[in-house]
Amino acid sequence: MGALEIINFYLVPGIVIGSIYALGAVGITLVFSILRYAHLAHGDLATLGAFLALGAVTLGGVSPYVALPVAMVLTAAAAVMIDKAFYAYLRERPKIVTVMASLGVALMVRAIVQVVWGVDSETYTRGIVRPDVWFGIRLRDRELITIFAMIGLVLALHVFLQQSKWGKAMRAMSDNPDLALLSGVDNKKVVMLTWIIVGGLCAAAGVFLGLNYELKAMMGWTMLLPMFAAAILGGVGRVEGAVLGGLIVGIAEEMSTLFLPTEYKAATAFAILLLMLLVRPTGLLKGKVL
Amino acid sequence: MSDILVMRDLVGGYGDANVLQGVSMRAAKAEIVVIVGPNGAGKSTAMKAIFGLLKVRGGSITVDGTEITGWEPNRIVEAGVCYVPQVSNVFREMTVHENLEMGAFLRTGDLSAAYDRVYTLFPDLKERRKALAGNLSGGQRQMVAMGRALMLEPKLLLLDEPTAGLSPRYMEQIFQICRDVRDTGVTIVLVEQHAKQALAFADRGYVLAAGANRHEGTGADLLADRDVADMFLGG
Repeated sequence: MGALEIINFYLVPGIVIGSIYALGAVGITLVFSILRYAHLAHGDLATLGAFLALGAVTLGGVSPYVALPVAMVLTAAAAVMIDKAFYAYLRERPKIVTVMASLGVALMVRAIVQVVWGVDSETYTRGIVRPDVWFGIRLRDRELITIFAMIGLVLALHVFLQQSKWGKAMRAMSDNPDLALLSGVDNKKVVMLTWIIVGGLCAAAGVFLGLNYELKAMMGWTMLLPMFAAAILGGVGRVEGAVLGGLIVGIAEEMSTLFLPTEYKAATAFAILLLMLLVRPTGLLKGKVL
Repeated sequence: MSDILVMRDLVGGYGDANVLQGVSMRAAKAEIVVIVGPNGAGKSTAMKAIFGLLKVRGGSITVDGTEITGWEPNRIVEAGVCYVPQVSNVFREMTVHENLEMGAFLRTGDLSAAYDRVYTLFPDLKERRKALAGNLSGGQRQMVAMGRALMLEPKLLLLDEPTAGLSPRYMEQIFQICRDVRDTGVTIVLVEQHAKQALAFADRGYVLAAGANRHEGTGADLLADRDVADMFLGG
C-alpha cells in the first residue's frame, strides 16, 4: 500500500473524526476545569445539536452549514436550561451526584431525540459527493470545512479566554474559585457562560459527525468515550491539549483498522486512555486549569 | 475621626460552634489596626466574619456607616472592602497583570491610574508583570495578592497574616507597603502571628483570646502591657 492510500483512506478520515472529537473534548475539558465534574450527557447533547440542525434543514430547507449556527444557539440554550433544571440544585453536593445526574440527563436527551425524530438513520443531504483531488490527496468539501471549522472555533475560544473580561473570569474561576468570588466575579454568570460555550461546541461536534457520517440517536453516546479519552490524553483543563488529544485519538482509531478488524476501532480509544493513565496521568500537556 | 469599620459584639463561627464569643472592634479612616492573639483565639475568624464567610449569629458589622452583616461576599466587595486570604491568594495560572485585572473586575472605565498606583507600590511586580503568579516567590506572590485587592481602591483592606512564611526582609517590606497604602487614605485591618513586630508598626491593636476581646490600645501600649507580654509575646 502506497503513502497516498494511507493518507486518503486512513489519515484524512482520522483527522476529520479527530476534529469532531476535538470539538467535544474541548467542551469536556471546560466543564471539568470550571464546574469540576465529568459531564456524561456531553455526547447526547451533541446528538441533540445534530438533530436540531436536521430540523432546520428539513423545515427551513437550508443547507447544513446554515443550520449549524442555528443548532449551536439552540443547543447552547438547551444546555443552559439543563443546568438550571438539574445541575444547579446539586452544586453544593458532592460532585459524583452531578456526574450521576448527567447520566440521567444523557438518557433523557436521547429519549427526546428518539421520540421527535425516530430511531432510523438520517442524513442532511442525499447523493454521493465526489471528492476533489489535490496532488493525489482526495478531500471532500465537508471534510475541509469540518477541519477548518474546528480550527476556527478553537481559535475563537482561545482568543475569548485570553483576551476578554469574561473569558478571564472563566479562567479565574477555574484557577481559584474562592478568590474569584472575593474579586467580585459572579459565579452564576460564569457557569451560564460555560454552558453556552459548551452547548455550542457540542452542537458543532454533532453536526459535523452527522455531515461526515450519518445521524443516529446513539451517535453522540458512542462518541463519549473517545471524547473523554481525548480530553484526558491532552491533559484535563487544557484547550489546546483537548485538540491535540482529539486528533491523536481520531487518527489512531482510523490507523488501527490497518492491523485490526474495524470492530475494534472503539477499543483503540479505550486502549489509548488506559495507556495514558498508566504512563502519564496528567496528560500530554500537563493538566492544569484553563 | 470617622470610623470605617465598626464591629459590635460579634458572635458566630463555622457549623454549630461559636468561635467568636462577642468580639468588638473599630478602625478609623487611614488607620492600621492589627489583630493578635494566641492560636485559636479567633483572629482570622473575626476577619472572615467581616467578609461574610461564616455564620454570624449575633452582633453587627458596619462599614463606613452601612451595615453589611450577612451580605454576600461580592456585595461586600462592591461596598469597598477587599480581603486577602492567607493562602491561595493569587490566580496561579494567570499572569501578574491578569491577577491585577481580576482585582479590578467590578470596575469599569480607564484603569491605567490604578495599575500605575499598584506598580508604583510594588516595583518588583512591574518587572514581572508577564510572569505567571504561580512561578513567583512567596513574598512576590503576597505582593500580587495585595496588589489585586488594591486594584479596587477599597476603603477597607483586610489582610490575613500577610507575612506568614516570609523572610524578615519581606516582612519589613510588606509592613512598609501597608504604611504607604494607609497614607493614601485606606484603612487596613490585619491579622498577625508576629505579634511583636506587628504591634510595633500598627497604629492600634486588639488582643483576642478564646474568641473575645482581651486588650486593646495603641501598639506601644500593648507592647508595654505586662499581661499581653505574658500571654504570648514570650515573656
